Amino acid sequence: MMPPHEFKLSHFQAMVFFALLISVAFGFLSRRGAYQRARYILWSFILFLVIGVGIGWAMYPFSH
Amino acid sequence: MPDEAPIAESTNAVPVPQHAPPYPIPAKDRHRRDALALTVAAAAWFLPGLGHALLKMWVRALVCFSTVALLVILGAGMRGNIFSRNGEDAFAKLGYVADLGAGSFYFVAQALETNGPDVSHANGDYGTRLLATAGVLNMLAALHAYEVARARKA
Repeated sequence: MMPPHEFKLSHFQAMVFFALLISVAFGFLSRRGAYQRARYILWSFILFLVIGVGIGWAMYPFSH
Repeated sequence: MPDEAPIAESTNAVPVPQHAPPYPIPAKDRHRRDALALTVAAAAWFLPGLGHALLKMWVRALVCFSTVALLVILGAGMRGNIFSRNGEDAFAKLGYVADLGAGSFYFVAQALETNGPDVSHANGDYGTRLLATAGVLNMLAALHAYEVARARKA
């Protein structure tokens, strides 16, 4: 059994957590005002996911 | 809060323009400001968010602290590799520099990872990346706090 402070995340979950945390940090560090921050965080988060999944599919042919 | 103060421009992605002051800044004041900026940067590195807290940027301080803390907790919980100073190759040494960027949280990660790293699975490999990201992100936040303290950024 896993200790309570250990996590087992899937590839996608790890990517989503990473994208979310980094987007929030970048948004708050580089923008001012709630609207600007929210817009930046949302865009950054979506781009992280889209590019991550895109690179994954681009590598797919090489694994076969 | 200074974080939320309304400004004319909607973004501060570009540095605040440096206008020549109407009178020369005395060397003593300049040195004091530089010393203060270095202290802020060191504090920001040692404890994530402390640099911004010293500058009374409470929201940014909270976000920096929470983000680095969550990345460290996740990375250590996924049994990522925490690099030590005795790295065999350049990548291990680079990883040590990245991990050390988290300041005191480097030791928190070591304390949390009681079972040691396990990079034989993808989970542990992701954990390694999250720990390195925590360090690099904290260094970026410390640099931001330094720039703000030197009045180069708003």
